[in-house]
Amino acid sequence: MTILWFLFKEGFRGLIRSRYSGAFSIFIIAISIILIGFGYIIARDTLFMVENIRSQFDVDIFILPTAGNEEIEAFNQKLRRMNEIDRVIYISPDDAAEIFKKEFGEDIFDILDYNPLPPSFTISLKPIYRNLMSVEAIAKILQREPVVDEIKYRKKFLIVLEKYQRIILVSVMIVFAILTLISVILTSNSIKMTIFARRDIISTMKLIGATNRFVKTPFVIEGALEGGLGALLAGLIIYGVVYIQNNYFQSFFDYSIHVSYRYYLALIILGIFLGWIGSRRAIRRFL
Amino acid sequence: MITFINATCSFKKNAGVKNLNFSIDDGEFVFLTGPSGAGKSTLLRLIYMDLFPEKGKVLIRDYDSSRIKDRQIPFLRRKVGMIFQDFQLLKDRNVYQNVAIALYVSHYKTREIKSRVYDILNQVGLGHRVHHKPMELSGGEQQRVAIARALVKEPIVLLADEPTGNLDPKVSIELMNLLSKINKKGTAVIVATHNYSLIKRVPGARLIQMNEGEITSIT
Repeated sequence: MTILWFLFKEGFRGLIRSRYSGAFSIFIIAISIILIGFGYIIARDTLFMVENIRSQFDVDIFILPTAGNEEIEAFNQKLRRMNEIDRVIYISPDDAAEIFKKEFGEDIFDILDYNPLPPSFTISLKPIYRNLMSVEAIAKILQREPVVDEIKYRKKFLIVLEKYQRIILVSVMIVFAILTLISVILTSNSIKMTIFARRDIISTMKLIGATNRFVKTPFVIEGALEGGLGALLAGLIIYGVVYIQNNYFQSFFDYSIHVSYRYYLALIILGIFLGWIGSRRAIRRFL
Repeated sequence: MITFINATCSFKKNAGVKNLNFSIDDGEFVFLTGPSGAGKSTLLRLIYMDLFPEKGKVLIRDYDSSRIKDRQIPFLRRKVGMIFQDFQLLKDRNVYQNVAIALYVSHYKTREIKSRVYDILNQVGLGHRVHHKPMELSGGEQQRVAIARALVKEPIVLLADEPTGNLDPKVSIELMNLLSKINKKGTAVIVATHNYSLIKRVPGARLIQMNEGEITSIT
């Protein structure tokens, strides 16, 4: 217990003693966390936007004009029982005529004297099935139904969407990996400066019989504290930017940022992690 | 207690030490003398295993330089006290903290640390300076803090590398008297110095003379 208390005290003291170099490390960590923090918001909202577009994806199933009401109802029930389907809307020929009127401004009966529009179903798939592979498989199954005449969906739309989503995801992962790596290197280098300024402590500690772990622990605690403080600073700045955007520029950009307390908590944990990893990496050279 | 067996350790820039064969017993007082570059500091560094011989070996009690693992070195150093010409004190800590750290690294309990530190500081005559920082002390006092730090863990041997190099003659004599007192209590002391006048201060001490990395005489 004595030793643990001593090491923690040393870590805290180190932070106070390091002054400028410690403040510099905190500043570097804060910049890294701000980059990662905003990177996360941008990536999340871009992907959310893509998902939002994807949610508007529907499949239209046109029914044979010869199909009777009982057959249509049986098919309706079957669709509602399917796990992959989220929502089913039945569009009768009369509903279709109504939609035609709304979209084209003319009554179909004035043009043709009869209603040629077939009954149809518009189905929305559950989010995990809103991809090309699943849609094609589901369409293939439904096409076998005797009442089904034709199935239509925007195949090209899905192909393009999936392509862009893949590009965004890969880019986000690469950018995050690079940002994290840069953060660790920057953090580690700035902590290295702090440690360099106190290398006499390390050599003295080693001379009096301190193990490497004993020498290392206060520096790692100090690094984690710097990381936590850097993240706190970054969190305050991000909070300020989010507040200004949501209160003064929301209508201007038609965009509001939503972040929960969990996001800030994650930033602090990330900061502590960066400081911890960075200081572990930095101290290795001096042992 | 300490045995050198055909120990050779060389450097690019200077000779280091060559083919050393001698031993030091428990409770001995030994002077290492010789001009600068004779290999005195190298010999001491071989004892606390800051250096390792490329030929031969050094034995310190159960520790064998040819077989010791990196993780065992801190445990050896807890049994070897060291003082240097430049004191190597932590400037941002007070006297108490400078001495106590030697016990913290050896995982002592707070209560024991406190009593041992106050006890040793009284022994070296610094009981009234516990809260002072090194820079507020004279050279002689700083060296006594270093001695207290080395002794507080009750080492089997105290190594002193030019301990009076930065001290005036009067303080140097006081320091030698202190080292002699420590030796009388049973701790072996090895002092590397090129100040021959100090040797006379410790009658009965063994003298190992070195030149260009070799032992030229042992008396």
